[in-house]
Amino acid sequence: MNLEFSKHELEFKKEVQTFLKKELTSELVEAAKRSSAVFTEKEIAMEWQAKLAKKGWLVPSWPEEYGGTNWTETQKYIFSSECAKAEAPSLTPMGLGMIGPLLLGKGTKEQKDYYIPRIISGEDYWCQGYSEPGAGSDLASLKCKAERKGDKYIINGSKIWTTHAHLANKIFCLVRTDNSGIKQEGISFLLIDMKTPGIEVKPIITIDGEHEVNSVFFSDVKVPAENLVGEEGKGWTYAKFLLAHERFGIAGVGASMRQLNRLKDIIAKLDNSELQRKVNELEIGLSAIEITELRLLSALENGGHPGAESSILKIKGTEMQQNLSELFVEAAGEYALMYPGPHGYESNDKPAGPDYAAEGLSGFLNLRKTSIYGGSNEIQKNILSKFVLGV
Amino acid sequence: MNLDYNEEQTMLREQIQKFCESEYDFYKREEIVKSSDDFDKNAWNLFAEQGWLSMPFSEESGGLGFGAIELSILFEEFGKALVIEPYLATVVLSGTLLDKSNYSGKNELIEKIGSGEMHISLAYAEVNKSYDYSSLNTTIDSNNCLNGTKTLVLNGANAEKLIVSCMKDNELNLVLVDSSANGISLNSFATIDGQSCSEISFENVEVDNSNIIASGDSATDLLMNTINLATLCVSAEAVGCMESCYFKTLEYTKGREQFGQPISNFQVLQHRMVDMFIESELSKSLLIKAMLEVTNNSDDMYKHVSALKSYIGKSGKLSAKEAVQLHGGMGVSEELMIGHYLKKMISIDALFGNSDFHLRKIA
Repeated sequence: MNLEFSKHELEFKKEVQTFLKKELTSELVEAAKRSSAVFTEKEIAMEWQAKLAKKGWLVPSWPEEYGGTNWTETQKYIFSSECAKAEAPSLTPMGLGMIGPLLLGKGTKEQKDYYIPRIISGEDYWCQGYSEPGAGSDLASLKCKAERKGDKYIINGSKIWTTHAHLANKIFCLVRTDNSGIKQEGISFLLIDMKTPGIEVKPIITIDGEHEVNSVFFSDVKVPAENLVGEEGKGWTYAKFLLAHERFGIAGVGASMRQLNRLKDIIAKLDNSELQRKVNELEIGLSAIEITELRLLSALENGGHPGAESSILKIKGTEMQQNLSELFVEAAGEYALMYPGPHGYESNDKPAGPDYAAEGLSGFLNLRKTSIYGGSNEIQKNILSKFVLGV
Repeated sequence: MNLDYNEEQTMLREQIQKFCESEYDFYKREEIVKSSDDFDKNAWNLFAEQGWLSMPFSEESGGLGFGAIELSILFEEFGKALVIEPYLATVVLSGTLLDKSNYSGKNELIEKIGSGEMHISLAYAEVNKSYDYSSLNTTIDSNNCLNGTKTLVLNGANAEKLIVSCMKDNELNLVLVDSSANGISLNSFATIDGQSCSEISFENVEVDNSNIIASGDSATDLLMNTINLATLCVSAEAVGCMESCYFKTLEYTKGREQFGQPISNFQVLQHRMVDMFIESELSKSLLIKAMLEVTNNSDDMYKHVSALKSYIGKSGKLSAKEAVQLHGGMGVSEELMIGHYLKKMISIDALFGNSDFHLRKIA
């Protein structure tokens, strides 16, 4: 048993570091840092995406013919943790992490050949149409209706909490094509162009003052039938596949490590033993999450697959992100009173107080959603109850 | 990177599990605890036969040369079965200390420990020192006379010899004395986890020059290194306890019916058991990290053992308290194993620095 990397892996690590040193400019790092939100601003994410695409490192897990790197699980881990350490912007996951992998698994040859290059080039910027006002944790009860008429589906209904719908040109949607059976059946997976007549996007401003999420309304939206992914009525199976995909890596260990190190620097200057105690506690907790992720990785490397245990990472990883951001707020002391605005420190004409105060509060408010999205942490506990406890 | 146990380690675990299942169930343990002996001599002989008592000693000293990973496996399994035999006191605290020392008579003592013939205890703690094991009131003067009082000497009543930490000219010394020597008096008592402990006074006890095991920095290093290893061991024991708390609680709630159904059907209990499972897994992760650091004798090993000890102090007690709560009235019954895990967790947290103490050490 050992945690060390092999000689070959260490060489790879060096190669990644060299690339990051050259391509990850301080402008990109600073721009990514300014945003306290989970999702990086589109321009920044896309600039970084273009650099990775050029290098051929954008989609390591994909088949080689579609841009994959054929890396081992450990290499993928080294790559992502080096990126996190170097404070690279995080990539927008809807295309690269969700619809891309689904199309590669379930899409037709035509769909793959059309959409996959456009995801990599950034020509298509995707958003995810899952939740509805009446279907959150009980996602399978969704109602957004798709009626087949000739070679088209007619869509009526709405989606909510749609991240970056106002920036996206495509949306992948779970829609109801059949009401006759149990609710999990009769759900289908559709690809929709956001410019199609009948689609309306309305912003939802979250408590941190940001515009990240939206409501999307569909009235008599006509979608070509060839935009169906996989089989009609099998959408729920695909959605579950994607949710499991979303959970792996959602722990955000790299980003939390960065936050922890910043927090340690800040707190070291404050000479406050209570805050010191709390930051020590978070450091231990984060180490526990990191090793748990490595244990899953090691199991993967030896032919296992991320099972329900990845729910542990979702729960503990998001709690960690929230606890770190809360400690930023505590470290700000009385400056936590100051309204940070959507752009943190730069929102006010003249900055006041320590820079981490405004950023900390925006982060604290923005990160509330992490324990709600991607299957709320309570849903994760239901999953663990079912598959690990067996009750 | 590979986080799997190797074949030899897996076999060791299975061997210990087999012993615990067939020779050391809870009724057997209760018999031992209630008997007049502090532990079961037959079990101890069996440990010797299996080679467990010489497992961590170097091959030059006649041991098997196993390290922190194998010790963690043994303690994890001992934790599950709540084994009370004084492995920690005799083998880990005294045996590995001697093994790493330059003491001239160590080979004979290690052989006797390995064969199960001899118990030795380490007298490292003093009253009101709050986990500071290097500034002591016990002294040895220029005539090699030992004076002072040691407390919480694990298995002290059964030890033929004692290793005592003491000060000489402001330097830490580790000395070996016969427990039957003139000037030594013992006050022994039971611990809440079924073991035995002694408070030992030394009044002008003569120490032979050759029995000074180590002095100065080398004594400090030896003592801290040994206590660090022992801290890892009891933490592994806690990890074993946590896993059992989780499994036994799950099993119990699946069988216990109220309101016409197994209480494991209730989501409020399911989520609490999920939390127990998660805490058990996270603790296991920190154990893996700490035991690898100790195996590599890395600069960070003290920090990672502290992280582990701090974490399991809290999560271990939490799991055990939850286990008691979810067992309802049965949880507070002496007849059930579950309450004894809670007592074990309390005693583990109290040993070698509690959760808060190790949390402060992390920075």
